[in-house]
Amino acid sequence: MAARLNLGLLCAAIALGLASAPSRGDTLSDVQKRGFLRCPIIEASPGFSSITAAGERVGMDVDHCKVIAAAVFGAIKIEFVPITPQTAFTLLQSGAVDVFPGGASWTFLRDTAMGLDFTGVYLYAGQGFLVRKSGRIHSIADLDGATICVAQGTTLEQNLADYFRAHRMRYRAVTFANIERGLDAYQADRCDAFTNEVTSITGRLRELVNPQDHKILPGVISREPMAAIVRQGDPRWRDLVLWSFNAVIAAEELGISQANVDEMRKTSGSAEAQRLLGVYGDYGAKLGLSNDWAYNIIKLVGNYNDQWQRNFGPLGLDRGVNRLWTDGGLLMSLPFR
Amino acid sequence: MLSGSIASVRRGFVAARARSLLYQALLIVGLVGLALLIYHTTSNNLKLLGVNSGFAFLEHRSGFAIAQTLIPYDEDSSIARAFFVAALNTLLLAGTASVVATLLGLAVGTLRMSSNWLVSKLAQAYVEIFRNVPALLQIFFWYFVALRSLPSLAQSVHIPLGFILNNRGLYFPTLQLHGAGWIAGAALVGVAVAGCAHTLLARRRIAARFRGVLVALIWLATTALPLFLPSVGFELVSPTRGRFEYESQIVLMPEYLALLIGLSMYQATYIAEIVRSSFTALPTGQAEAANALGLSPFVRFQRVMLPQALIMMLPPLASVYVNLLKATSLGAAIAYPEIVSVFVGTVNNLVGQPVEIMGLTLVVYVALAFAVAAAMNAYNRRLRRRGQQ
Repeated sequence: MAARLNLGLLCAAIALGLASAPSRGDTLSDVQKRGFLRCPIIEASPGFSSITAAGERVGMDVDHCKVIAAAVFGAIKIEFVPITPQTAFTLLQSGAVDVFPGGASWTFLRDTAMGLDFTGVYLYAGQGFLVRKSGRIHSIADLDGATICVAQGTTLEQNLADYFRAHRMRYRAVTFANIERGLDAYQADRCDAFTNEVTSITGRLRELVNPQDHKILPGVISREPMAAIVRQGDPRWRDLVLWSFNAVIAAEELGISQANVDEMRKTSGSAEAQRLLGVYGDYGAKLGLSNDWAYNIIKLVGNYNDQWQRNFGPLGLDRGVNRLWTDGGLLMSLPFR
Repeated sequence: MLSGSIASVRRGFVAARARSLLYQALLIVGLVGLALLIYHTTSNNLKLLGVNSGFAFLEHRSGFAIAQTLIPYDEDSSIARAFFVAALNTLLLAGTASVVATLLGLAVGTLRMSSNWLVSKLAQAYVEIFRNVPALLQIFFWYFVALRSLPSLAQSVHIPLGFILNNRGLYFPTLQLHGAGWIAGAALVGVAVAGCAHTLLARRRIAARFRGVLVALIWLATTALPLFLPSVGFELVSPTRGRFEYESQIVLMPEYLALLIGLSMYQATYIAEIVRSSFTALPTGQAEAANALGLSPFVRFQRVMLPQALIMMLPPLASVYVNLLKATSLGAAIAYPEIVSVFVGTVNNLVGQPVEIMGLTLVVYVALAFAVAAAMNAYNRRLRRRGQQ
């Protein structure tokens, strides 16, 4: 009798726990109630997320987490969740993290079939190749018949297959679970080339055993527009993240940087800058935030150029197509009007 | 009132039995209900989240290449076919590693029981070292250390019979057969000849196990007869060298070789200990009785000790083989395209349906492991029955 009662209670408890639907459509309230942002990062990716000798997290993806936290809280209140590429989307879909700050390209299937929404392109990148200088490979066309090391987790393998098939080239793909293993194998001469997104390769070039023996082939075989990702079905959170990233680009267009944001708030004559920095209007309230949201972002993290120079400057990466449209690049901010 | 008490005891027994059946039925209903609830909630949540559900993705074009394919496969094949390729890779690795581990384990186990102190201690050292280091570390060791010690393409090692070894793999020579028609014809004739030989040998009362071997040899000899003809022959053609690697039909990738060596050496330690413990568990009277009967050490081992020890070895050996099958998933760490690497790694990132993918993977592993264990247990039962005759 007692055993049956216990079993029944157990079943009921499990049923109650399982019957609750996932919390839908209000990530902003959840984050505000919790008091900090839960942000996943892929460890040890130079330029995107790494840990300094002092134990501080730096990188472009880390800065993106800070941008959103600054907008929501006006302070950097973040819990960083180390993840691997394979688990990234699952964690976001299930609600274990609030946003995926970067490192995945905006593709049709991801947007439509995986319950994800994208929030504006922040980096225009492509897939490139790292080869040995001694291997006498000078262009991507020379890779016909080569063995190529590739890391799992994104569209890399499919891009490789599509490109080589379209150009009638053969290849052999050796697929690793993470980039570090793949680079180790490449340096051990297991493959003739290593492929990944170009900014990522450039960042890791300096970490190779003999960086001067390697070079990056000119050209890319795919377009990879990188964007931060949120769950589908939460329009307010998506707007918040999208316009936060947009504010970063708009600040550079309007000449507002981390150094001069206080001064610009007081003295700028541009109406758009005044709307952005909350001098008048209630743009913050429309996102569910205070009017200081964009000011906090730029004060605490900086505009696009600040972030680029801080993270990619030491790697010697040129902005290339990631300049503003007025400088011949592809970045154009959406107007604050 | 004896009949009355017997009747009441019987009634009580029936009531107890009915109660027990009721509890079991309720438990089954409860478990099934729980499973249905989990299924229903999960599929509901997935639908609400906008995540695709169902197994339709298995028919989609895969769009990626796999480094080792035992069956024809390319980027246009379906994802289901990619899964099949990966499963075959898993089975290839598990099968060959089981064979190597068993041979190695038997050898080490027997050496461990040797009366020679040095041999016994060396075997013990092997077992202690390779059992106590985690399997993944051993695999990394073989992969990265061995990879760096293998020669590069330009300095490939040419092994006799046309094999080539370098850091891209072990390349097999191609077997080119001339006059295959003659050989095929001779094989058919050989079947007839072997059949006659079998009847003849049976009539002459040659023992069954010798008969089998002799008949096989006779068939082989007949099949090989046409080789004496000038136009018939076979040759092993060495792989030709391309720009980046050698071209060959059969290549063993360094990932496979590292896994084979690493997993075999690791699991062989367990097999060695199982072998040793089964032999030491035999009652000492058996060996003494065999000696008293005047049996030679070889016959004593083969006829008396081994059959009894084998029956004791099989259940733990089944565990070792199942562990080996599961340990092939470590191949995902060094780019060997087995199920976890291809399906849970690549395909999951393509389609983003972790529930279906993990479910399918788990079901396949459970089914394979169950098959291995069932086969071993069936063999064990057969041996026990034979032993009791």
